[in-house]
Formats: sequence, structure tokens, C-alpha cells
Amino acid sequence: MRSLTALLLAAGVVAGCAKPAAAPPVEVDAARVTTLPAGPADAAWKSVPAYTAALLPQDMVEPRLLQPSTPTVNVQALTDGTSVAFRLVWTDDTKDDLPGAARFVDACAVQLPAAASANVPAPQMGEAGGTVEISYWSAAWQAIVDGRPDTLAAIEPHASVDHYPFEAASLAEGSKDQKDMALRYAPARALGGASRPAAGKSVQDLRAEGSGTITPAAETRSAGKGVRDASGWQVVIVRPLPDGLRGQPRSQVALAIWDGSHGEVGPRKMRSVWIPLALGGGA
Amino acid sequence: MARVRNWQIDREMSYWYPENRPKRQFAAVFDTNKCIACQTCTLACKTTWTSGKGQEYMLWNNVETKPYGFYPLGWDVKLLGKLGGQKWKGSRYEGRTIFEAAEGGERVHGWRPEEMDYAYPNVGEDDCTGAKLERGDFLTLPHNRWFFYLARICNHCTYPACLASCPRGSIYKRPEDGIVLIDQSRCRGYQECVKACPYKKTFFNPLTGTSEKCIACFPKIEMGEANQCFVNCIGKIRHAGFVSRPEDAREDNPIDYLVHVRKVALPLYPQFGLEPNIYYIPPIHVPRPFLHQMFGPGVDHALETYRGAADDPDLAGLLSLFGSSQYIVHRWKRENDSVLGFDEKGDEVVRVPLREPVHIRQAWDSARSIARVNIP
Repeated sequence: MRSLTALLLAAGVVAGCAKPAAAPPVEVDAARVTTLPAGPADAAWKSVPAYTAALLPQDMVEPRLLQPSTPTVNVQALTDGTSVAFRLVWTDDTKDDLPGAARFVDACAVQLPAAASANVPAPQMGEAGGTVEISYWSAAWQAIVDGRPDTLAAIEPHASVDHYPFEAASLAEGSKDQKDMALRYAPARALGGASRPAAGKSVQDLRAEGSGTITPAAETRSAGKGVRDASGWQVVIVRPLPDGLRGQPRSQVALAIWDGSHGEVGPRKMRSVWIPLALGGGA
Repeated sequence: MARVRNWQIDREMSYWYPENRPKRQFAAVFDTNKCIACQTCTLACKTTWTSGKGQEYMLWNNVETKPYGFYPLGWDVKLLGKLGGQKWKGSRYEGRTIFEAAEGGERVHGWRPEEMDYAYPNVGEDDCTGAKLERGDFLTLPHNRWFFYLARICNHCTYPACLASCPRGSIYKRPEDGIVLIDQSRCRGYQECVKACPYKKTFFNPLTGTSEKCIACFPKIEMGEANQCFVNCIGKIRHAGFVSRPEDAREDNPIDYLVHVRKVALPLYPQFGLEPNIYYIPPIHVPRPFLHQMFGPGVDHALETYRGAADDPDLAGLLSLFGSSQYIVHRWKRENDSVLGFDEKGDEVVRVPLREPVHIRQAWDSARSIARVNIP
């Protein structure tokens, strides 16, 4: 009897100490901090609640994604009042960071309205008059930032190339003539095209006013870092708050995930709806 | 989808954008009977345009042996298989174009070649050669003992599938000449155009992150000169110019004369629905069912006309203009035994005899008492 009483008392103590399970966050809460974390492994993230965003296939405009892939992405956020950092974690069995013919790369994006408004822009890339600002991270760009050479040999290890005209012996390596000639054989690079980020960046800032209108921002001010483990990707994107959101206590954020091995690229993606975003109390 | 007129299939069809024809349309005629697959055109293009990094595998111009040559592998037969029945009723195509066959969620019915599909650009070269063997064939295939060479570039289509498929509107058709280009400052490398183009003439560059394609040597076209792959063709199989709509065809326009007036040059797989603007004189020795599928219902008339060229001084004369000038011949005419070509301003840029004079050197040089030897 004595032992039974002790057991019941012990059970009561345990029950009294157990915290009730915390309710899952209903929004992305970007708490105010003085220094934003730069990477996904930063200790600052440990105390930040993660919002689990449901993803749905982009099936509004052609070409659509008809087969769903990544079901959810966990998102955390912090702000210092001028910038906001997002940490996205999602499951992905395969590492896809090598571009090629019919070969696509893993990627994610964070989208914010360019300005606070009672009329929130359409969640799918905004709309005419309702600009959204997007920060797009690519696993291919991250690999280059992490040290993979930006060369054919890195993509096609068995490739053998006899000669490039712009690497002729008569052209001094690194000379203006040599660089100019090399650019003539890579018009997209010569034009500073939309397909690549600024040097040293794994993230590109973009603006859009509806499907098909996405355009690189005048300057990419976002930074990002992605790392991978066996289960998937953890990516941090740190970006300035859009000018129109400065001092605003609340806004919205939308997310997109691309699974390269699932053939996802461009509009073929998993995307969220607008998610309420608390911005640390505003200014 | 809009409804547009496609004269090559003699009906209206669905297309992603409304009909918007350029002021004039770059076009060409290739005579398949003259091609020897020397690949000089391929190299001319390669050294001019695709010697950059990430372009190593690209051949904006290629020549493949039909029926078993493909670049990329199976480019046409894969789509033909996917598209299903392609019935014609007279000049009218009653099957589905690749725009009309697009599955839900897609703009175009297409497929995406994978890396290895580009790995053997000259696969099938000269396959199906040989006369009947005493002990029978070692290998029996559906198409035995014939082949021909098919030189291919971008068709600069009136209804380009690449343009229709691009969700960013990065591809455009120049109003001044109908040349189809990918804006390298706007493309983000989604490869939708690679999937959509039935001729597989757009290519993804993994080092620029953009798709690239044949630009029809537009800097030369703007100067009134023919494209690199044309002027370097040693078989003189190609003639560059501009094609009119059928109702506007002019007899003195070389392309119009061959395509619309004499109907000796035909589009490649017109049933796909793109109104391609590279026209082919079909090979004379290939089984007709194969040619009907590849060039449409005009094959019989085209070959009958072509075979009669020897007794047809106008047609023979125009064919002799092929590859005879570095300039684009906008107008032509025959004067007795001479054929003249004129540029856009009306200046004569070329004059060739209707028939080249033939000189026969005797095998025995009696003056020197020595046998002549042909030195290659």
C-alpha cells in the first residue's frame, strides 16, 4: 500500500510538471533582434517557433505543376527592423544542384508585398499595380558560392573540349581583348541577364507584377545560405524589408519550393498562399 | 488560345497568341537531293555561333541521315508517336497539332530530350545502305536500302512553339523579318522552349543558365547577305529569301516560286502546326508513305514537278541559282539561257548559265604522250 501511494504521488508530480503541448504558430512571427543570423545553423534560430506552411502545386497558369511534391516547408523569421531573415527547412531526398538538359535544380523563394496595403497583391507573383518582391535561392548558385568551379568540367566531368576561340594562345589570359571575346560567346553574361545572380551570391532579388513578369531587381541586396543534410534543405535568406513595409507591424509572406529531380522549374513549383507575418512590432 | 490561319494545313488552328505575321518572313528552300552530308554547314554554324562555354553540345545546324539519324535522339519519331494519328483529307490536316494536343496544364504538347539524347549527333549516319545481298540482309529494318540527308536549322516558324511555351515571354519574333530569337537578357532557363519545340532547335546552356537557338545569322540578313550555313554549303542545296503568304505570292520571288507557284518545296512536318519556314524539296528515291508523313500531302506533286525540271527551263534555272551568291536573291528572272538574281534594291547580284558548259578532257594527252590522271 505504501509503495502504491508513492507511485501515485510520483505520477502526480510528473503530471503536474508536464507542460501542455504548445499550440502550433498560426503565423510567421519575426521577433525583433539586434543581429540577424546569417546561416541556418545559427543558435539564434533555436528559440524561434517554426510555422509549417502547407504547399500546393502551382496550378493556376500554364505551365502548371500537376503532380504535387514537397508538401510543407517549415519557416522561421527574425527581424532587426530594417531587414528580415527567413529560415526555410523542407524535406527533399535528392540533392539537385547541377543544371543541364532536362536537369533542374532545387530552389526556394520568399515573396513579400512591395508595400503595405489593404489590397494584398495576388499571392501568385502579384498583379498589375500590386508589386511583390521576391528573393530566390538556388542550390546551383549555392554550390558555386561554396566553391564548385563555374565551369563545364564541374557539370560534365567527362567532357573533353579541344579549343575555345577566346582561349587562343594569341590572346593574353585575362586581357581586355580576351575577356571581351569570351563575352561575345556568352551573350547572356554579356547582357547581365536574368538567369544568374550577382557574383558571390546564392540569392537573387526579383520583382514581379503577375505571372510571367518576374524581373531582377536593380540590385540584389539579399544574402542567403543553404545547407543540406540527408533529409533535405535548410536555407536562410536575409533580405531588406521592402521600402513599403518599413515600420509596418504586420504583413504577409508567401513561399515557393522547387524540387529539381521532380522536373520543377519556373512556374512548375510548390507554393504557399499568403501567410500572416508579424514584424517584431514594427518600427 | 486564339484561332489562327495556318495555310500549310489548310485550316484554322488554336495557338497561344493571335495571328501576327511579320512584315516579311525569312525563309529558305533546301534541296535534299543535293545534300551529301559533308557537314560543312554544321561546322560553319558551330564555329560562328556556338563555340562558347556551355554550347559544346549544341548544333544549331545539323545534318542527319534519315530514317535512322536523329539529333537529338528520336526528335521526330518520339513526338509522332505521342501525337497519335495524323490524318489529312486532301490538303487539309484533320489531326491535332501540338498546340491542340496540349495536355491540361501545358501550353504545347512536347517532350524534353535528356542529356544523352544529344550525345550522338551523327547516329544512324548512312544506315540502310547497300544493294540486295546474296545471302539476305544481316539486319532487317522497316526502312531498308534507302536513306537521305536532312539538313536542319531552326524553322523560324510563323507559329513558334518555343515562343508559345515561354512563360516569361522571353522569345520573340522579329516584325521586320520573322526571325525567332530568345532574349538572353530575359530568359531564366526554364527549358520550356526545349520541351515545346518539335524540331528540338532550342538548347539549354548550363553555364549561362539560358536557352539558346539559331538566330538565322540575323546580322548578315540585315546586310542583305545569306546565312553562314547557306554560303558555306558546298553542295549548293540552300536558297535563302523571304516567303509570302500564298495569296500574296510573287512569281519573281524565288522562295514564293518554289513554295507557292510550283509547289516543289514543302514544310517539314506541317502537321505539327507551326507553319515552319524552311522548305524542303523531298528526296526522289524515298518511299512515298515516309515522305507523306514528313512533308505532308504535297509530296507527289512536288516530286513530279521536280523530276520534270530537266525539261522545265524556269524551274531548272531557278534551281541553278541555289548557292550561287553570297547575297539574298529577292527577285529572279530567266533570260534565254541565263538566270539572273537581284538584291532588294533591284541590282543584279548574280548571273548563271542555265546549264553549265561541259568540257571533256581526253584520258590520253597526245601532245605529251601521257595518260591524264584525275587528282582529287
